[in-house]
Amino acid sequence: MTHIAEASPVQSHDNTVPAGPTAKATARAVNVTYGNTRAVKNVDLDIFTDEVTALIGPSGCGKSTFLRCFNRMNDTIENARVSGDIRIDGEDIYGATINVVQLRARVGMVFQKPNPFPKSIYNNVAYGPRIHGLAAPGPDLDQVVEVSLQKAGLWDEVKDRLDQPGTTLSGGQQQRLCIARAIAVNPEVILMDEPCSALDPIATGKVEELIEELRGRFAIMIVTHSMQQAARVSQKTAFFNQGELIEYGPTADVFTKPKHEQTKDYIMGRYG
Amino acid sequence: MSNANNPLTSASSALWRSEQMQRRIAKRQVRDRRFKRLGLTAVLAAAAFIVVLLSVVITRAIPGLSQAQVSLEVYFDPLVIGATPDTAATVAGRTAIVYANYGQLIAEAINRRFADVSDPDKQRQLRTLMSPGARAALRRKVLKNSDLIGTKQSIWLYLSDDADFYLRQRARSVEPLPMTSLTTKAATWLNRLQDENLTRRSFHWLFFQRGDSREPELAGILGAVMGSFLTLTVTIAIAFPVGLASAIYLEEFAPKNRFVDIVEVNINNLAAIPSIIFGLLGLAVLLNVFHLPRSSPLVGGITLALMTLPTIIIAARAAITAVPHSLREAAMAIGASPIQVVFHHVVPCAMPGIMSGTIIGMAQALGETAPLLMIGMVAFVVDVPGGLSEAATTLPVQIFLWADNPERAFTEKTSAAILVLMLFLFAMNGLAVYLRNRFETRW
Repeated sequence: MTHIAEASPVQSHDNTVPAGPTAKATARAVNVTYGNTRAVKNVDLDIFTDEVTALIGPSGCGKSTFLRCFNRMNDTIENARVSGDIRIDGEDIYGATINVVQLRARVGMVFQKPNPFPKSIYNNVAYGPRIHGLAAPGPDLDQVVEVSLQKAGLWDEVKDRLDQPGTTLSGGQQQRLCIARAIAVNPEVILMDEPCSALDPIATGKVEELIEELRGRFAIMIVTHSMQQAARVSQKTAFFNQGELIEYGPTADVFTKPKHEQTKDYIMGRYG
Repeated sequence: MSNANNPLTSASSALWRSEQMQRRIAKRQVRDRRFKRLGLTAVLAAAAFIVVLLSVVITRAIPGLSQAQVSLEVYFDPLVIGATPDTAATVAGRTAIVYANYGQLIAEAINRRFADVSDPDKQRQLRTLMSPGARAALRRKVLKNSDLIGTKQSIWLYLSDDADFYLRQRARSVEPLPMTSLTTKAATWLNRLQDENLTRRSFHWLFFQRGDSREPELAGILGAVMGSFLTLTVTIAIAFPVGLASAIYLEEFAPKNRFVDIVEVNINNLAAIPSIIFGLLGLAVLLNVFHLPRSSPLVGGITLALMTLPTIIIAARAAITAVPHSLREAAMAIGASPIQVVFHHVVPCAMPGIMSGTIIGMAQALGETAPLLMIGMVAFVVDVPGGLSEAATTLPVQIFLWADNPERAFTEKTSAAILVLMLFLFAMNGLAVYLRNRFETRW
């Protein structure tokens, strides 16, 4: 692991937070290789708590792989190797003192395909708080489940059938259940890997509203194939191509006056 | 029309309506139908085999499940028993009752019935009509109720297996087979008893209450059932946890290296090893090295567990691999530790498949004879085993022993035992299916 401390904006002399907008998470010189393939090449990126960061780019450009560096899900892939420096609140998440299991609770993740547990709706949400001991079983846990489902905008739809399997919900409801499950453990960052690609437009709209509501409470990174979605939900957009971060800036700028030719071509729909 | 086959040159309407295309479609449909018919025939053939098997076993077993009895007037002679109702409670009286010569009581009773037979040789023949079990039955009666001493009672007593067989043949008006040791004279005596309505057939409860015996009419299946039960308990107690743990480790935690590859290949090889080899292993290691009790359910169970392990491991691994990766990711992403991912999510999801593999393995173990022969479970065991270290035999071995026995009446016992074995199997599978349905998570 190479530490490039001077490149990190959150690094000050005594490791305290300097004035101005501070990055919740920083990535410096991040490389990911699968065997001999370099999927992510030298990426630097900061994300902020009050913003949604969208990662866009053609298929296979490494944006999902990059996203999965933040909760170390790449560790579970046999031959994946991650190098570089990734910090959350200044703490190196690939450092020796980091507990991966705990990190994954702090950095929640929502997947492309809704993947609720084959358990009841209640237990889907209660599972995280239960294994981390965040709430005592009983009224405390009930409260966490209710609040999480409310935050995910699902409470009114499921409050009468919490004991039914999560898999009986519709696709859009399942995805919001997955979001409720992620926020139930009170994470700091939420990673979303194409959360709407399996949903119809109405369900997509609901999830996008939800993302807007969650903004400010959590730092959110979202990988999306839909440029309209990136434009609708994000404040910052990062354009990836062939493993490299081509352009990163405020969403409005990236979409209206892209600095790079490649970004422009992609946004104009010339490839991807 | 010659060009109609070429998709590049012909118009699509012509292509799909051409005669060749119609013929091709018809040919495909014929193939479909032929295959469906073949499949149906195969299923029906398999079902027919099962029906034939079951009906043969059941029709053969039914005679073995009933037993002929004769009503005799037995005088409980205090002089023969050596005790009276008054002395029965004393130690001496009780000892006398236990060791009394009940054969003499029966001989006297039957001699009274056939007063016309006075030749001692003929009288001896008369006595052979009775089962040796009749003596034990009398002893039980007196032990239960000592007031019988000094009285005369009409008591239903078991006839010998040969007499039983003769009466059954007579009822079907078939000439008795020459295999029976009955003399013509004995046959006429039996005819007399039957004509005087002093014989009856009743359900053979004793068959389900006793262990093995040299006398077919006294041989029971309970010993073998208990032996099988105890053996399989040991087998599942070892094979299921060890197999499941191995499968989980190999699928979820094992590093991918040469050593693990070799282990995997060898597990697959183990599944193909003839079962008698496992018996040799049990003999060489469990008996000769560890000196565990010979022919005990403990040793049998361990041996069968070794034999069943590969089956369970292979099935459990297949079931674990089939659990969608998205479920593991979901659990990991919420911060579940590897053990939590496995035991909260993967194993419950794979449980139906694991149970199926376990059922197959246990069914194999239940029907296994060869390895048990090697470790001495082929012994003649009269007592119903009550513990894991007592001598026992199992159902298939009992069937093997009875089938090997030249006495005519044991063939029926063999079929009855097969029936019991199959019921045992159905009960076990039923339990497994019930458990599987209970644990099955809706996906």
